[in-house]
Amino acid sequence: MPLETALWYNKCVDLLTVSVTARESAGEPYTLVEIAGEADVTNTDDLRRLLDEEVAQQPRMLIIDMSGLRFMDSSALHALLRVNRSLDRQGGVLALVSPQTAVAKILRLTTADRLIPVFDSVAEAASG
Amino acid sequence: MTGDTSPIAADLFCPGVSLLLMSWDAKTTQRGPAAQEALTGPPSAQPGISAPLPPPAPDAMSYTYTTDLAAIRAVVYRYAIQAGLAEQRAIDLVLAVSEVAANTIRHAKSAGSLKIWYDSEEIVCQIEDDGLISDPLAGQRQPSLDAMGGHGLWIVHQVCDQVDMHSDETGTTIRLHMKLPGRPAR
Repeated sequence: MPLETALWYNKCVDLLTVSVTARESAGEPYTLVEIAGEADVTNTDDLRRLLDEEVAQQPRMLIIDMSGLRFMDSSALHALLRVNRSLDRQGGVLALVSPQTAVAKILRLTTADRLIPVFDSVAEAASG
Repeated sequence: MTGDTSPIAADLFCPGVSLLLMSWDAKTTQRGPAAQEALTGPPSAQPGISAPLPPPAPDAMSYTYTTDLAAIRAVVYRYAIQAGLAEQRAIDLVLAVSEVAANTIRHAKSAGSLKIWYDSEEIVCQIEDDGLISDPLAGQRQPSLDAMGGHGLWIVHQVCDQVDMHSDETGTTIRLHMKLPGRPAR
């Protein structure tokens, strides 16, 4: 079982709620970001800023739990692609968890799901 | 969309750009993933032809939006289900309308307008704003993931059964068509 060590924050921006938790799996720390609500062009700047703050902490693994995200447009997708690129450059890994139908669709259409690994559960993502 | 530099930018709504006073129409059909293999040549478009689209159905529902995209998505989903579209296709239509309306927020100077109508054959969503799309082929080429931009209109072309666009210096109209599932033959 992953150990929840600290809830860093839970921010609600308009339609979007983002919570960040520091966790550990088999001794390996990871950052869990839970995104819930609807992510589109009207809140992408906020999403990007919140994710950038996490990337700046240089996590070895950043897991985004999307199970509460009802909708994501191409602006939000670009924010994720940017995170993926930044993490990749600094030797970290991004993983996505449990996208709902609409979110899975845009990931598949743009082939972003071939670039960023998608898992069914946080535990699965954390164990790599 | 600061920081996004797409060489072929689908974000081509450029209000105020009047260097090229042209108007054009583009009609693409069957651009869904299943139809992609059937594509043999480059997509067609007819720059310079300025015939506007035929008028919407007289009983079309009409909405004006500024930044309330979630409300627009809810309305589109409701009508799509009501019209008889399967849930997956309804989600596709919601995605497409949201992407087009997002371009209004990014690039147009005033509010956008959404009209929805349907008959037994199809449901149509029309989005109008005062932005200008200068490229008749906007959204018809797949941007690379490295481009970090320009996926919006491409997604629209992928999920819709037909996309009509008309753009000139007065604004842009994009019409998205989804075929309704046929009734079983008797």
